[in-house]
Amino acid sequence: MEKNELIAKINETLAEEFEVEVSDITPEANIKETLQLDSLSLVDMVALIESEFGVKIKGAEMVQVQTFQALYDFIAERV
Amino acid sequence: MHNKPLLEGEGLYNLIPQRDPIVMVDTFFCADETSAETGLRVQSGCLFCEGGLLREPGMIEHVAQSAAAFAGYAPYTRGEQPKLGFIGEVKKFKISRLPRVGESLHTTLRVMGEAAGVTLIAAETRVDDEVLATCQMKIFIKNEE
Repeated sequence: MEKNELIAKINETLAEEFEVEVSDITPEANIKETLQLDSLSLVDMVALIESEFGVKIKGAEMVQVQTFQALYDFIAERV
Repeated sequence: MHNKPLLEGEGLYNLIPQRDPIVMVDTFFCADETSAETGLRVQSGCLFCEGGLLREPGMIEHVAQSAAAFAGYAPYTRGEQPKLGFIGEVKKFKISRLPRVGESLHTTLRVMGEAAGVTLIAAETRVDDEVLATCQMKIFIKNEE
């Protein structure tokens, strides 16, 4: 899968699950703020990424993944 | 699916804080890092039974205690006391049929993800080959300081 296709799929998947507009998701945007994730719903995103893309994000790695660009890069390096 | 118990009856007291008459899991079949299986034979005197059926709160309580037993099993194998756990959220709970008194529930738990100290668990409860209920549950285990 090309990276652009991967990014589009990530955006669509997250937008549908967390009920935001795809247009709200931009590379530099903060993930938690954009998806309105709190300490309980963060695990929903981790589980979704693992089930949809087969990529597991560990707790320490999550600290590094603050923006969507960081998330795209993280997933692209592991799929 | 495992059918040979690792722990049963009061042996479960090593894994969960609940005590009779509120105990809603009576068998612990197996566990590894990401999954576990538990069981419960529905008794007529159960607090959550009405009209010969285990009602919805009893189903939720069974899954919650199954998750507690799952969380308590690893400390138990290390000779430690179970840690205090909290349910953060129960979602996507679907019940296709309420179990009857005398039926044996077999529940499979699977870790879907972990983040910020919260574990998301998927649960499926069966009687024989029939799926009676599915749900997702978030649990938070308190680490002693």
